[in-house]
Amino acid sequence: MTRIDLPLQPNGTKVQWSYLPRQFNERSVEEILDRLRAFVPSGDFTLGKPVREFEERFARLIGTRHAVGVNSGTDALKLSLKALGLGPGDEVITAANTFIATIGAIAENFARPVLVDCTDNFCMDVSKVEAAITPRTKAIMPVHLAGQMTDMPALMEIARRHKLPVIEDSCQCILGAITDRNAGTYGLAGGFSLHPLKNLNVWGDGGVIVTNDDDFAVKLRRLRNHGLADRDSVVMLGCNSRLDSLQAVIGNWLIDQVDFITTTRIKNAAYLDGELGKLPQIRLPHRYNDRRLVFHLYIVFAERRDELLAHCKKAGIEAKVHYPIPIYRQEGLRPFGYRKGDFPVTDRHADTMISLPAHEHLTAAQLAYMVQTISEFYES
Amino acid sequence: MKAKPVPRYDIPYVNLPAQADEQMPELAAIFARVVRRGSFVGAGAEIERLEARLAEYCGTREAVALNSGTDALFLALKVPGIGPGDEVITPPNSFIASTAVIVHLGARPVFVDVLADQNIDPAAVERAITPRTRAIMPVHLTGRVCRMDQIMEIAERHDLLVIEDAAQSIGSIFQGRKSGSFGHFGCFSAHPLKNLNAMGDAGFVTTNDTAAAARMRRLRTHGMADRETVEEWGFVSRMDVLQAAILDYRLDKLPHVIAKRRENAALYQRLLKHEKIFVPPCRQDEFNTFHTFVIQAERRDELQRHLRAIGIKTAIHYPVPIHLQPAAASLGYRKGDFPATESQAERILTLPVNQYMSAKDVEAVAGEVLSFYGA
Repeated sequence: MTRIDLPLQPNGTKVQWSYLPRQFNERSVEEILDRLRAFVPSGDFTLGKPVREFEERFARLIGTRHAVGVNSGTDALKLSLKALGLGPGDEVITAANTFIATIGAIAENFARPVLVDCTDNFCMDVSKVEAAITPRTKAIMPVHLAGQMTDMPALMEIARRHKLPVIEDSCQCILGAITDRNAGTYGLAGGFSLHPLKNLNVWGDGGVIVTNDDDFAVKLRRLRNHGLADRDSVVMLGCNSRLDSLQAVIGNWLIDQVDFITTTRIKNAAYLDGELGKLPQIRLPHRYNDRRLVFHLYIVFAERRDELLAHCKKAGIEAKVHYPIPIYRQEGLRPFGYRKGDFPVTDRHADTMISLPAHEHLTAAQLAYMVQTISEFYES
Repeated sequence: MKAKPVPRYDIPYVNLPAQADEQMPELAAIFARVVRRGSFVGAGAEIERLEARLAEYCGTREAVALNSGTDALFLALKVPGIGPGDEVITPPNSFIASTAVIVHLGARPVFVDVLADQNIDPAAVERAITPRTRAIMPVHLTGRVCRMDQIMEIAERHDLLVIEDAAQSIGSIFQGRKSGSFGHFGCFSAHPLKNLNAMGDAGFVTTNDTAAAARMRRLRTHGMADRETVEEWGFVSRMDVLQAAILDYRLDKLPHVIAKRRENAALYQRLLKHEKIFVPPCRQDEFNTFHTFVIQAERRDELQRHLRAIGIKTAIHYPVPIHLQPAAASLGYRKGDFPATESQAERILTLPVNQYMSAKDVEAVAGEVLSFYGA
């Protein structure tokens, strides 16, 4: 087999983490600018028509009655918890290996995050949830990390038994599904992120909450806009957390491509699974026949991870680790009293996981180059 | 019977289409530039440049770019640790956000009444101070700076923080100093309807406290000191890079915007001399930027309906004082607690004063207001 080499890209790498320059190339930017030129004179910048259109289309995409555009994925979680009326002394069960925003959203509501360990698919180990429930538990917040799916049918069964609302952190999991039922449609609500590096991305911060509950949706719409029922009536104290109309214009342009983005990522991941799976030093996370995993991140477990990471970087592959220090061991979490070793699976992951680019703008040559680079590392 | 009025004007309250018309080629170039760089979120060159320019403009050491004016107020209270048990003195005739952030932090808003110019009454501030008072939050309503000499003097005597709600007052000056440079923090909004406006939500804080600014920059992005270290629980309150680039471009135009609004306001002040109308005069030591031009008028609702019918858009900031809003019920205030605020709420009317109005437009509006009263 001939050895592949790739030309250096403008940012000095060969396989980029960020797909933004390819996604927003000259042709697509001109298309979007045309839309913006048409939008800007409307002056409809705050909760305008593009936001309503995006909300309708996003709700249809995910399969819920409502979608509510907010300022970020973090705020999607924060406002969902606020709408539950969470307060001091309340507990929310979530995953020990999540991105900080999940826990930040709980802490911001003065509630206490109660963590459970994850399984080898990076999502909450549902078999450990019941033991974490106390009389103070007010909600369960599973995290569909990296585009993987929490075992929602099992989790919903537990939630029903204990009459607890479920808010799905679906920030990294647009169109992830178990037996065709999408992330965000199992619980009372699901929070999504539209951050520039998410599978459906806008040109700044943005987020969406989906729900089938009419009253909950009304509450969320008020909370995101200062608690205003109309221009002059403040019915509750809210925040300023709106999806900008301008960002909704971008979202409306991109939402047509979500199927392409999702299927391409799945295809890329299948290729990497097939090739990297042959290496004895690489272990793949468990894959499921009945789940659609959307690979916001493509993560595998690697022997000599730190060396491999350095090797990849040297070869121009922008590999990363999500996350090298598990959230439960972060300084900010100290008040909650967790200690190193409390979550062994999470700890093991932190030492062995590596994230490789798998996005929809990679070429076949780039994918093959990654496989070659990693194989050579272990052969040498 | 009087004939039904017909619309004979088309005078909008704000004029964003005119702004788009004037700026579209430059705005499109800004969009394209930001997209080419592909850095939409986080503290890049655009954010740093804008922060430096805003600080210089406002006369402070630091400016911190945030997602909204509301978030600016929230973080300005959060950083000094204002929380449960603390009281913050503020006026009840503001936009809801200034009170909401106090409540969200678990602190208690203590309302005091305002002067004839709608700004907080320093004497009332002093009377409201208790051992639990931590901060004073004056609101520079309508683009007029509060009596900051007296407020700062009171604050220093009682060792209180001053957090200026400067959301409506960028560029306003009092006794030679810019709004946002008097207190410990100045909180600004760059909402699309503000004098310096983004094309979506945006805001910023000004301060001379470098350590506080550094902490705010952490808090606006998840409390992260770097990509791997969460120093404390934070938020997502970043100004979009796209909005920062737009504000950077528009900051150059702000002096003109302010000059034009002042010109329009001066013309109103000359023309609107009538016993049924009160227009708060501008004092010698004030430089007002007229985010809004508010008159206090008899039969206000009738006047507003009449103006609307003939094609002149007006607004009311704000018809229901915060202490009388349903959300404020738990604070325990009642109708009658703040007579000046409450009586103004029934008389205030905001006339269009935007920079795209000609002298002829202003004369037309003033003329119609006067003729409503039979002058």
